Amino acid sequence: MIINHPLLGPRDAAEFVYLGDASLIERPDGFGENAEDAMYDYVYLRDNPAGQHRELWYHEQGDRSWLVVTRNTLTHEITAIELARDVARSKGRSR
Amino acid sequence: MADISLVPAPVLGGFQQTFATCSLAERIDIALISIAIPRQGKDALTQGISARWALDMPGATKMTQANGLRAIPLTADQFLLAFTPENERTEASVQADLEGIGYTTVQTDAWVILELSGKGSIAALERICPLDLDLEVFPNESASRTVMDHLGVLIARLADDRFWLMSARSSAASFLHAVDTSCRWSAI
Amino acid sequence: MNQPNRIDGGQIDRATTLKFQFNERWLTAHPGDTLASALLANGVRLVGRSFKYHRPRGIFSAGSEEPNALVQLHKGAALEPNTRATTVEVFDGLYATSQNHRGSLEYDFLAVNDLLSPFLSAGFYYKTFMWPRAFWEKIYEPVIRSAAGLGRLSGKPDPDAYDHGYLHCDVLIIGAGPAGLTAALAAGRAGLRVILADEDFRMGGRLNAETQVVGDMEGAAWAQAAVGELTSMNNVRLMTRTTVYGAYDHGTYGALERMTDHLSDSGDKPRQVLWRVYSKRAILCAGATERSIAFGNNDRPGVMLAGAVRAYVNRFGVAPGRRVAVLTNNNDGLRTVDDLRAKGIEVSAVIDARKGDYLVNTTGRKGLKSVHLNNGRRIEADCLAVSGGWSPNVHLSSHHRGRPIWRDDIAAFVPGGELPPGMIVAGAANGTLTLASILKEAHETAQRIATDLGKSGPTGEPPKASDEDFATAPIWHINKGKQRAWVDLQNDVTTKDVTQSHREGFRSVEHLKRYTTLGMATDQGKTSNMLGLAVMAEASGKTIPETGTTIFRPPYSPVPIGAFAGRARGKDFRPTRRTPSHDWASENGASFVETGAWLRAEWYARPGERGWRDSVDREVKATRTGVGICDVTTLGKIDIQGRDTAEFLNKIYANAFLKLPVGKVRYGLMLREDGTVYDDGTTARLSETHFVMTTTTANAVLVFRNLEFARQCLWPDLDVHLISTTDAWAQFSVAGPKSRALMQKAVDDLDLSNEAFPFMACAACTVFGGTPARLFRISFSGELAYEIAVPARYGDAMIRAMMAAGEEFNLTPYGTEALGVMRIEKGHVAGNELNGQTDARMIGLGKMISRNKDFIGAALLDRPEQTRDDGLQLVGLRPIDANVNLTAGAHFLNPGDPADMAHDQGWMTSVAYSPELGCSIGLGFLKRGSERHGETLRSFSPIRAQDVMVEVCSPHHIDPEGERQRG
Repeated sequence: MIINHPLLGPRDAAEFVYLGDASLIERPDGFGENAEDAMYDYVYLRDNPAGQHRELWYHEQGDRSWLVVTRNTLTHEITAIELARDVARSKGRSR
Repeated sequence: MADISLVPAPVLGGFQQTFATCSLAERIDIALISIAIPRQGKDALTQGISARWALDMPGATKMTQANGLRAIPLTADQFLLAFTPENERTEASVQADLEGIGYTTVQTDAWVILELSGKGSIAALERICPLDLDLEVFPNESASRTVMDHLGVLIARLADDRFWLMSARSSAASFLHAVDTSCRWSAI
Repeated sequence: MNQPNRIDGGQIDRATTLKFQFNERWLTAHPGDTLASALLANGVRLVGRSFKYHRPRGIFSAGSEEPNALVQLHKGAALEPNTRATTVEVFDGLYATSQNHRGSLEYDFLAVNDLLSPFLSAGFYYKTFMWPRAFWEKIYEPVIRSAAGLGRLSGKPDPDAYDHGYLHCDVLIIGAGPAGLTAALAAGRAGLRVILADEDFRMGGRLNAETQVVGDMEGAAWAQAAVGELTSMNNVRLMTRTTVYGAYDHGTYGALERMTDHLSDSGDKPRQVLWRVYSKRAILCAGATERSIAFGNNDRPGVMLAGAVRAYVNRFGVAPGRRVAVLTNNNDGLRTVDDLRAKGIEVSAVIDARKGDYLVNTTGRKGLKSVHLNNGRRIEADCLAVSGGWSPNVHLSSHHRGRPIWRDDIAAFVPGGELPPGMIVAGAANGTLTLASILKEAHETAQRIATDLGKSGPTGEPPKASDEDFATAPIWHINKGKQRAWVDLQNDVTTKDVTQSHREGFRSVEHLKRYTTLGMATDQGKTSNMLGLAVMAEASGKTIPETGTTIFRPPYSPVPIGAFAGRARGKDFRPTRRTPSHDWASENGASFVETGAWLRAEWYARPGERGWRDSVDREVKATRTGVGICDVTTLGKIDIQGRDTAEFLNKIYANAFLKLPVGKVRYGLMLREDGTVYDDGTTARLSETHFVMTTTTANAVLVFRNLEFARQCLWPDLDVHLISTTDAWAQFSVAGPKSRALMQKAVDDLDLSNEAFPFMACAACTVFGGTPARLFRISFSGELAYEIAVPARYGDAMIRAMMAAGEEFNLTPYGTEALGVMRIEKGHVAGNELNGQTDARMIGLGKMISRNKDFIGAALLDRPEQTRDDGLQLVGLRPIDANVNLTAGAHFLNPGDPADMAHDQGWMTSVAYSPELGCSIGLGFLKRGSERHGETLRSFSPIRAQDVMVEVCSPHHIDPEGERQRG
């Protein structure tokens, strides 16, 4: 597989480490309302779509950036690649 | 203990060898300092290194150099400064120069640097380097991290057929074996 | 030494004569010969025995599709079975033998299988060896195993070297026949970066085997001219002997280049290189493979594909027979007649199946003697050229599961609509079977790609050629007569097997394949699959496209496992990491243990010691009573800087880090988000904004990855920066009551008194007169201890200097085993305890966890399983009988309880012999363990056959109050 890194261009997937569903960015506040239930969902429950999937890849043997890759799980076609930090900020995460 | 003082030793003993079409040498004269760009501090750091050394910030895969300093990209907010230490310029003095505008870490000892040169360099690298080294894709003064023979490697192109291959110090012997094997096996 | 069947012409170098051996007979050949052409030139027709029936077999094809002529090359460890004689280049000294026979090739005892063939038809395994059941392991399987298989492995390690490599291009052209060469010329001229790969050692494909004219030249000459022009282009890479064997994701292709297989001497270079080719586009110009027609006894040596006959005559200058009959269902096959006659070879019969003529049988036990026509005529022939039409080599076009589609006009499958992204098919592989059309299609394809990729250089014109009439009729087999008619020569599948499979209900293509083994041999049915499908289609009254086709998967042709392994074997299986004191340790009797990629000293043997226990006991005693030194460089070290680092660490660690003072170190516990402990270590604060974290050796990479995740994905606006310094610092633990005195000698100008530099202090300093260093007062052993770090380049000098400075204190180096003993004595947890199920309460650190902040793992701390009353807790264990050595993994039972899971009380995680206590000690998890100190339990290990009584105690076997490390 080739991942077209937004900053570095196309790179072999061998340089990356796969984590999983990009929803892991949306960590609930551990002290928020229903924190335990929300965290339970966050930790254990995942969608497993046949088709478009937004997922986290880490460029461990590269520039160490976390990426959100939109990949079709049936064809491996990759349609979007974003820096996870940008995605996190767009979801309102800051500090 | 005035009677004992510590003498530094290069991890590969200053390895040097010439093959049929390329040469390989451990660079033992390079100091490395990593510089992390403080959040919202990019302008200050850019101005700082420009004013101090007339050095530009490196790009995502593009090195810059000025006044004997070479900036090598590492991550989106971190790069390496490589230089040959002299009387006036030491690891400590460079760190002091960057005080307040960048977070510095001495990296000299974290890496081994192999310099690969000669017309057979590309043929040797084809056996271990997954990056496209075509001059249009990876021109001179490009640098990028990748993986070679299971090891993380920062490859920097100094000229058409001259490269620095930087990898972790602790696995230097394995890394040398990988590059050395490539040089021997690819020679025509 | 003469070659009786050598004739004029061909692309071989007659000026040079090569000597080679086949079945211990010396024969001669010329450069340009394959083993197959050389054997034919020497009059060798019988080359091997078939898989199941051990029928005599000869050479059937002239390329990688060969099902019959499988031979073993080389001897000893280099022996390589199942190589196709049709692809092996002859070199001086080549040693080849036939395979799959018991006794000689001429008199094979297992040929008796042929007489038993009525019992060995499709599915016979499933039916025959069912009962009695007890016979399977003792009788059936050993017998079958000894008879099965083709060649034999050497059983020795492969002595050859293999390598990997990476190539990049705009367009990869697969196959260098007329289409591939034309496409490469156009693409190369346009300025694209081109890789042209062909499995043959000579580019040109069918042009080398035919007499067709391209431009104003003979095809083969045109091909050489094209190669010449391509060679002059810097943007084109020509790769002969290179099989593109698989199409993978996103334009990545696998290619196997045979580098030295054709040389007498490899020159210590790798035999083969497995290339990963990254392409923007690929043009599949893989050509087509001729197929046979099934009729009675169509498997004798001498029965050959018509295209192969032309290849031997035209390319190799070899007459495959002196009296050749031709059987064809198409016009292309008829060209064989002209080519043979042009070389003065007698054509004894031309049988055009389209006219209703067919063959019912052949004779000739070890080589064809005659063919029998349906009209009763017997015709003498020592070679029969058969053409059943051509099947496009669609394989790579289907590697992403795209199905080929049927074309009636050529009676063949062609690549379907769903090709691997970026791939275009041109020429015969695309079903374009006549030359002028092939050249035009290839040229235009390359032109289109050049335009697509923004290259508009002049591409020239496609070369001129003519389109011969390619008329074929779908005639697949002749089911007249009683003789067996072979479909799959390599796996010995006949038309009867296929119809039987149909009769017994195995009708889907996938079932047919598995029931009869059709197409499952090393040739993957390249010459036989279509035949099998056609016979099945006929039996079921369906069309061929309705019957379907099996899925093609990589590799296109066999790839040695060694090539996939590349260099990653033996000691080069993976890289190793060495500590800065490695050389010194080797000189001082250390043996090394692998911890991940690291090699660490496990103990230092001294003369007179009887075994590792002697060494380890001595090291522990010396450390606990004096001072010891251990290289702890392998612990992960992460330099963390930024204005928000303290806040960041407070989110990462389960315990509080916000207010860690500068100059202090704190032990930290890292949890997973599910509340489980996954790593621990110490973090030192060097300045307001600068921290140094240590991790366990095993988790260094994982912790770094998770920290990056946290700072990029969870809290992206914190000012925090990470860089690994694991390799940058040589770090030594100096432990024992005399460690202060020793460190005071080593460190320049730093007061190490307990008041000035207490437990958990840290400082930047210098050692031995000015070498920069960092000193931490931390202890894993439980003794007064320090960790001293110097830049790694000083590491070797540092251990030597320390040993010199420590001589007066009897400084003793210790390894990981002594380290392990001391941490068990002290009750510190390590990997055995932090097994991925452990929560902080279990290891007595529940109170350390901060309850007034959010951190990773905070929200799920109090799940019911974690808070149950009878939860497991860390305890110490001692044997009641001090002579017993405890066993890790043993389970605890209350005395008198039966040994079953219902009564399980916990288990032993770590054990060691404690020199200080003079007995074996353990750590373990026990239900309500911290309330049960003093109880006696059974420690039961059915695996190690141990059942002993143990006493529960504090996990801190020594110095429970921690007075030593604080003193």
